[in-house]
Amino acid sequence: MSIVFEDHFHFGPDDLRRILDAALQTGGDFADLFLEYRVYNSIHMEEDLIKETSESISLGLGIRVWSGEKTGYGFTNDLAFDKILRAARSAAAIASSEGTTAAAAGLIRATSPLSVYPLREAPHRGDLTGKIGLVKDAYAACQSHHPAVKKVKAGLQDQIQYVTIVNSEGLLVSDARPLVKLTCVAIAEKGAVREYGYSGGGGRVGLEYFAENLSPAVIGREAAREAVQLLDARDAPAGEMPVVLSPGHAGVFIHEAVGHLLEADFNRKKTSVFWNKMGRRVGTSLVSIYDDPTIPGFRGSYAVDDEGTVPSKTQLIEKGVVVGLLQDRLSARLMGKTPTGHGRRQDYTDYPIPRMANTFIAAGEDDPAEIIKSVRKGFYADQFSGGQVEDSGKFTFSVTSGFLIEEGRLTAPVKQATLIGSNVEILKRVEMVGSDLTFGLQTGSCGKEGQDVPVTDGCPTIKISRMTVGGRE
Amino acid sequence: MSSPAGNRELLSLAERLVRFGQTSGADEIEVGLGDGTEFGVDVRMGEVENLVEAGSRALGVRIIKDGKTAFASSSDLEPETLERLIRNAVRRAELANRDEFAGLPELSDRPVDSASLDLFDPAVPALEAKRMIALAHETERIALSDKRITNSHGASFSSHEGCSVLASSNGFLGEYRKTYCSLSVSLQAGDTDDLVEDFWYSSRIHFADLESPEVIARTAVARTVRQLHPRKIKTQRVPVVFEPLMTSGILGFLFSCISGTAVYQQASFLAGRLGERIGNDRVTVIDDGLLPRLLGTGPFDSEGLPSRRTVVVEKGVLLNYLCNTYAARKLGLRSTGNADGSGVGPNNFYLQPGTPSAEEIIGSCEKGLLLIRTLGHGLNPVSGDISRGAFGLWIENGEIAYPVSEITISGNLGELLKNIEMVGSDLEFRGSICAPTIKVAEMQISGL
Repeated sequence: MSIVFEDHFHFGPDDLRRILDAALQTGGDFADLFLEYRVYNSIHMEEDLIKETSESISLGLGIRVWSGEKTGYGFTNDLAFDKILRAARSAAAIASSEGTTAAAAGLIRATSPLSVYPLREAPHRGDLTGKIGLVKDAYAACQSHHPAVKKVKAGLQDQIQYVTIVNSEGLLVSDARPLVKLTCVAIAEKGAVREYGYSGGGGRVGLEYFAENLSPAVIGREAAREAVQLLDARDAPAGEMPVVLSPGHAGVFIHEAVGHLLEADFNRKKTSVFWNKMGRRVGTSLVSIYDDPTIPGFRGSYAVDDEGTVPSKTQLIEKGVVVGLLQDRLSARLMGKTPTGHGRRQDYTDYPIPRMANTFIAAGEDDPAEIIKSVRKGFYADQFSGGQVEDSGKFTFSVTSGFLIEEGRLTAPVKQATLIGSNVEILKRVEMVGSDLTFGLQTGSCGKEGQDVPVTDGCPTIKISRMTVGGRE
Repeated sequence: MSSPAGNRELLSLAERLVRFGQTSGADEIEVGLGDGTEFGVDVRMGEVENLVEAGSRALGVRIIKDGKTAFASSSDLEPETLERLIRNAVRRAELANRDEFAGLPELSDRPVDSASLDLFDPAVPALEAKRMIALAHETERIALSDKRITNSHGASFSSHEGCSVLASSNGFLGEYRKTYCSLSVSLQAGDTDDLVEDFWYSSRIHFADLESPEVIARTAVARTVRQLHPRKIKTQRVPVVFEPLMTSGILGFLFSCISGTAVYQQASFLAGRLGERIGNDRVTVIDDGLLPRLLGTGPFDSEGLPSRRTVVVEKGVLLNYLCNTYAARKLGLRSTGNADGSGVGPNNFYLQPGTPSAEEIIGSCEKGLLLIRTLGHGLNPVSGDISRGAFGLWIENGEIAYPVSEITISGNLGELLKNIEMVGSDLEFRGSICAPTIKVAEMQISGL
């Protein structure tokens, strides 16, 4: 079942055409409109109480104009037509040709062939009592998992985002995107030691997901398990050593080390360390990396991107060689490439930029158990809390819990450490890739230039021959 | 720009919505409204890249009924939408649990005069687009004129002016206007396979307080090129000197640990430590919402309580947590006027400066690391643990020797606060969380 699109703007083709004409009145090359209506609901539980619920409405219109490489952007959440025309004129200020450009004669409504939102009970339609029940179930499972768990927080957030994209080439396309996540935080105590655990799940799915795929109880117990395990964890080791990344959550490694620096804008501007490496080897032949916005139900998926392009699974690295970039319309046009459907924006107040969706390293052939067995002394990175990269390729990711590897076996649990490396060096040190491709929690977001968008990432068990681990021992 | 007439319109809308909430069944209701105008330009490699101009309005509502709380917000200010949101919130509140600590604050009888805070600079809304574009151009041009700079992420100018209005069923009605402008540039130096990058910026309430394109460009260039040709270093423990932006990062982490919300939730290693020594006597930390012309200043917080000055840590002793009304009630304390939306936020939160200059602090290190940038998010308020990617300059015999990169720095905030050996004099209010240079006795560096 799919969600019926709701139009909250009530613009006819003539209205849209008038706005586009205003945007192009100074001779811009191209203009598009992004009409967004979003409802966001949340429930928060702590100290055994449903403490608060919230409902947020975001309604607005963004207008973009191109003139060569330049972008003009205006937005408004006041839908009085004169205010909209003023926003269009603000965007038009980027261009300064004498003549005006004519928009396409007629708007042609397109529909995406993709079906990426598998659901029966749309989260935003779900009744509040039922949703509160899910939160209470996660909370109770977390609290009762272990006597050391002293504090629990659980919450459910869902949203529906209706977008319509209209452009001066005549495109008119809409998308109704559901999103939900159920999360749980545990704080465990033992003497003076206090530790934190987190888990969650969801995606662009219906509420039935929490009955059929991932139960609230599993989410609650997993948060508790991590917090309790950390109570007995020792400080992480410090220095350079072999590192094994656990399957799933370690996808943040690929997100930081590769994904960001193959976003087309950084390559067009030659600021990314990868800009001159298309077709060149940057990693071992075990490394193949994709970004796929079309995986049904995933947080990072969409039927059309925020410029109206139908996305496609895009290969970035093939057996260690750079083969592709994540393109939005602007970079694709300026680079003479085809948009890959990775033009995304946080909301109507932002113009689109190239972004990741669901990024992963393809499964290899190694047995995960053999990978661990191959390390005499090293670090096993198990749970992650995010990372960061800069254009030079230096990247970090933060491990919240892990294990020492001693003589091919996981031994003592260890806590927080940041790992750092340079991507062109680390990709060449990927020595083994497991057959166990797994995706991380369906709760993450990625920030770039102040814009947050939902993403996921995935990876199998991976061995990096040497990497700097920032522990304290 | 929002004229006084515009303010009156927002004020009367806020009052109307409070009355609507009361007649719809809310015991208490708080309505915040904002109306703002923004302009932004990015210039890159001598050309305008992006130009953004927009106006936007937003509403936030809190409702309490029978001790149960519901929030709502909207960027759609149509009356039907707002009335529906408020009715929904009253209905939703019934499904939450009763919480004896929930509710609006008691009104203060000592409001702050917003005019004395000097938060509105008429020069900001009067800036012409041409002028702002020219300032960004000029900043990037000066930076690129240095031959060591090989690429640019661009220079940006942005400005904002807005009006905030708050009305509550406890009788509060307040409003103030605030301006903001910023100029920044971000650069790269070195070849593609040996890139280094950094930036510099200035952001202020008043246009006249903004640093010049010359100062911003020269500082960004110096900060970038000093990192060229870094070395990797061995894993070791050494003294670490934090530059002001780096100390500010540590202070931001301290804020998240003394926020009343984290404390009552037991999500901070500093929970239950009021009155205890948490640092040595060089550590004095203050939150001050009353400093004129600063980014973290305002006459009242998001619950309508007047801003104030709060000594958080005095000579190493933890004196106060920063609280909104809810966290304060949970902890048996009084609000410090730090309500920010549904949580707690800093006003101007800073580390009291000492006397030595940054040069004197660096000069005091026989061997050590000058920390200049970090990468990643390895901060854990529950344990106080710190582990971040780091870039720095190696110090030998009191002088900068060479840049280092691809290292991590790790420690624990509790230990760090006890091991601060020197606090510099170079405090500047560049944001709402600020601190001078400090020297920490010893921290773990991971490298080769």
